[in-house]
Amino acid sequence: MKDWINLFTLIDFISAGILLSTIAMNTLRRVESCVKAYRINSLLLSLLIFATAFSVGDMHLYIAGILTLLSKAIIIPMFLVRTIRQMKVTHEVQPYISNGFSLLISGILVSIVYASLTEGIFVTGFSKNVLQISVAVIMIGLFIMITRKKAITQVIGLLVMENGLFLAGFALTFGMPTIIELGILIDMLMVVLILGIFAIQIKKVFASSNLDKLTTLKG
Amino acid sequence: MNSFIILYVLAIPVLTALICYFAYRHSVAAVVSAAGSLLLAAAASMSVAASFKSPLKLFNGMLFMDPLSGYMMSIIVLLGLASSLYSAGYLKHELHSGLTSMKNIRRYYALLHIFIFTMLLVTVSNNLALMWIAIEATTLVSALLIGLGVYKRELAIEAAWKYIILCSVGITFALLGVFITYYASFGLNTGNGILNWTELKEIASKLNPATMKLAFIFIIIGYGTKAGLAPLHNWLPDAHSQAPSPISALLSGVLLNTAFYGILRFVSIVEPSAGSKFTGDLLVFFGIASMIIASVFILVQKNYKRLLAYSSIEHMGIISIAAGIGGVAALYGALLHVLNHAVAKPLMFFASGRIQSRYGTSKIDSVCGVLKAAPLLGCIIFIGVFALAGSPPFNIFISKFSILMAAADNGQWTLVTMFLIFSAVVFYGMVKCFGRMLFGCSEEAPECTDSYPPDLWDRIGTGVMFCLAVIIIVTGLWLPEFINNAIKTCTAVIGAF
Repeated sequence: MKDWINLFTLIDFISAGILLSTIAMNTLRRVESCVKAYRINSLLLSLLIFATAFSVGDMHLYIAGILTLLSKAIIIPMFLVRTIRQMKVTHEVQPYISNGFSLLISGILVSIVYASLTEGIFVTGFSKNVLQISVAVIMIGLFIMITRKKAITQVIGLLVMENGLFLAGFALTFGMPTIIELGILIDMLMVVLILGIFAIQIKKVFASSNLDKLTTLKG
Repeated sequence: MNSFIILYVLAIPVLTALICYFAYRHSVAAVVSAAGSLLLAAAASMSVAASFKSPLKLFNGMLFMDPLSGYMMSIIVLLGLASSLYSAGYLKHELHSGLTSMKNIRRYYALLHIFIFTMLLVTVSNNLALMWIAIEATTLVSALLIGLGVYKRELAIEAAWKYIILCSVGITFALLGVFITYYASFGLNTGNGILNWTELKEIASKLNPATMKLAFIFIIIGYGTKAGLAPLHNWLPDAHSQAPSPISALLSGVLLNTAFYGILRFVSIVEPSAGSKFTGDLLVFFGIASMIIASVFILVQKNYKRLLAYSSIEHMGIISIAAGIGGVAALYGALLHVLNHAVAKPLMFFASGRIQSRYGTSKIDSVCGVLKAAPLLGCIIFIGVFALAGSPPFNIFISKFSILMAAADNGQWTLVTMFLIFSAVVFYGMVKCFGRMLFGCSEEAPECTDSYPPDLWDRIGTGVMFCLAVIIIVTGLWLPEFINNAIKTCTAVIGAF
């Protein structure tokens, strides 16, 4: 298994899965399915870290993988599902643009990223595709954030961006020191927690889980 | 000097927050909060003094303090103290008016001190990723504080949501920048990457220029969002206008500077390899954009707290321009401006908090004749407005002038012209609005609803404003030698780029 060729194929395969699950989020109609897609996304991310850890044989990568699995694939999705239930939102995602159109834009985003990141950074010992894929995932996450009405879908978009970011981190550097990794993950857990609190507040105060009522502050 | 003093400085606000959270009465919480801030000021002044002698290091260099951290730390601690003293009177008033509850007040004090803690952590982080974690933590804590805004529930929640979403997205890009910096440092010294600023600074000239340029673009987008540089500033006017006034003061006067401090640290490691033209041009671009956008919005502003927020964008723009010009003189101006703005802006937010609780509104049109109704408050606002607008003999004039001098010495005449034009526009906008509020018509003036006689906490709040006003005038006329020396030491630390 320590064969580098195999590893390259494996890592490419997993990161392609991450990209696909991100793109798939564009077409999902229900908020819960978005959370599911996010869970798959995070599972694949931690799988990628485990694959790298296995091939490099680095203990701290295993720890990073376990931390990612725990926080991103288990705790955060659970919390999101709970918040959705608590808010009793109607389950439609209600995008501002049609699904077909957002798929098209995601495709364009991916090709732009591939076209523009041909050189500049040469990734050490890793598949060249991973960096492009991670930047594409960040972009699509941002795109999901700005085109959906629900407060929760904005949170999911942010989380997808962060998954892309972690992918980029692994593509570039084999991960940060464990203590830093832990700090970043705790920060992200806190973001989700606080956004969840505010989403419930929005539901209470505005009597709606959509963000299109939050437009009073201007100029 | 024992480096463990850094830990004391970090531990005091956390402990204060814990005690405040369990306080059962407002007066208890207020006393604890004030005592904690005073204790913090004492500990911080010792560690700042030590850091100016020789840099302090802790935990394998993960935490450290050099003169620049010391300088930023003293600003944070000073304004933290001012804000916590002022908060007591402000909250007492809200509690009496039934706008807030004891539960929220306990939360307020606890979060205030945690907020100060996170900002202090930013200044003492040597590890760039730790600095990122701390900056993200400042967003989270301050978002909760903004959510405690009481005048309009919906608006406070809207502002907090916008703030946390925009800043989190921005700061995600900054983390990518940190990753790329880490990647750039691979194979240079030890083979493993390093993230400590002090070590990166030593090998800065050997880093790959293309990679560092890419990293810097992500960093300036990320931390620039947090520092309120246009066109990434959209969250700022909302957050600053909806937060409770003492928090607006901290957000504006200190938090923006803390984020900019992150950019400054990065500039000094990117610049040796990527060249000062690259970093300088980017900073000047964002700075000019901020000045333009701020001046336009100040002219059409109808809400005085938003007006002050846009003024913060303008001042961050000025600091960014100064950092972009580079060189010892401009950096001196930038750091002096950081201090001056950190004194003048909180003063104005404190004063506007007083106006808001008197008149119950933050609309410019609904407030007039403040000078007649409350002479002392009016005088303080008068000083604050002219200081912020950059008129002599107040402190901001000095730093603006030294920045302009540096630009002129570099022969950047287009920059000087634009700087002067937009400063003039801001001057007009600010003086027009606040002039109306201070002197305006008295016949249609609404009745003041200040039915509570001032007690000790109100007097302390007024005292805080008075002290800040005195600092503005004194440093405007004659800059004390120790501040002058401190700033000179700091410019040497960043390395005049």
